[in-house]
Amino acid sequence: MAIGIWIIVLVVLGLFGIGIVSYVISIFNGLIRLKNDIKKSWANIDVLLTQRADELPKLIASVKGYMKHESKTLTELTKARTAFLNAKTMPEKAAADNMISGTLKTLFAVSENYPNLKANENFMQLQTRISGIENELADRREFYNDSVNNYNIRIQSFPDLVVARMLAYTEEQMFKATEEGKKDVKVEF
Amino acid sequence: MIPIHPVYLIAGFGGGIFLFIKGFFWLKKKRLIENIPTSKIRSIAMGLVEVYGEVVPWKGVLKSPFSNKECVYYKFSIQEHRRTGKHSSWVTVKTGEAGMRFYLKDNTDKVLVDPTEADVNVSQDYAFSSGFGKDPPLAIKQFLKVNNMNFESFLGLNKQMKYHEYFIAPKDKLYILGTADDNPFVKDGNSIKNAEDIMIQKGKNKEIYMISDKDEKGILRSLTWKAFGGIFGGAVLTIGSLIIILIDLKLL
Repeated sequence: MAIGIWIIVLVVLGLFGIGIVSYVISIFNGLIRLKNDIKKSWANIDVLLTQRADELPKLIASVKGYMKHESKTLTELTKARTAFLNAKTMPEKAAADNMISGTLKTLFAVSENYPNLKANENFMQLQTRISGIENELADRREFYNDSVNNYNIRIQSFPDLVVARMLAYTEEQMFKATEEGKKDVKVEF
Repeated sequence: MIPIHPVYLIAGFGGGIFLFIKGFFWLKKKRLIENIPTSKIRSIAMGLVEVYGEVVPWKGVLKSPFSNKECVYYKFSIQEHRRTGKHSSWVTVKTGEAGMRFYLKDNTDKVLVDPTEADVNVSQDYAFSSGFGKDPPLAIKQFLKVNNMNFESFLGLNKQMKYHEYFIAPKDKLYILGTADDNPFVKDGNSIKNAEDIMIQKGKNKEIYMISDKDEKGILRSLTWKAFGGIFGGAVLTIGSLIIILIDLKLL
């Protein structure tokens, strides 16, 4: 009689132990994966930011001759590119990205005032390519923010927060667009 | 108390432990799906990706074997009712699948998908039962003939058989969790369209690859039930079987 009860107690404790250990391992691995996914999604943004920065000198060269009255915009674009190339941290790169996106928006908007430029095939190709990169960047920023959001929710929810504290994981920052970047650019004809 | 054969009790104990462990695998899968955001196809990056979109044929379509519907993937099973002594059961006598590459399209772009080695979970599209006085349709008869199978017994009477078919048709909405990688069928720079440069496929490290016609919420709901059913059901089955074994052995 007593042996039977002991066997049941042992099996129950065994299942309980296996359950707890498996659950903790799955939380642990899940959090590490989430953290790495954030790094990966940032790296995927960085690739596109670099691609776009590489296209900017060609764009500036193609519009310089036509847009003599927009030297301020072109200077801002060059500055923003330099800021991106000198940026080391993610917030610095994000700030430079916002500057580039905003200036590009202005540049493409004011290009409407220059019919000769709009007829330039090289400019049109660059505009299409850069706009394509901009669209992909928008998707990847959204993806990055979703990854950060998933991670932040996990590390603040029980029981994941216990493991997150053991790993000293803290909240990650989302990729924020500046208020300037969100505004539509007015074009004056 | 109705006596239970020891084989069933041992199977219950083993099956319970199996279910218990499997429950944790389902839980892990659920967490993985929850943690991966859905990518827009236009901007998918290499590696494990989750996408949702509509099926568009790539180069032609297949015909499903029983209902002859146009599709890009199908799987089927044939079951036969067999009797052995007092017992009878449905035995699966043939299963199979076939698929071809197809595009998945969302509101941003389209990407090529190779369903080979995917865990395809789609709802049943066609089912038919043949039996006494009920012949299978012509398409099934032809399929059976090609595969050297017969729906009639040696006495000329129809066997009791069931035919199930699952397929992915053009315009079906699919959820895919798989690896985006270079398309091994095109050389760099030789691709006609960019949409063919990258292909969603089984990862080289055999990562998870699933295709489902449910949306993410539906998949998560089903995995939650499976995980908790597996963990708690498995534990109850294990302990219940153990208690009866111990009673039979007079240890309780």
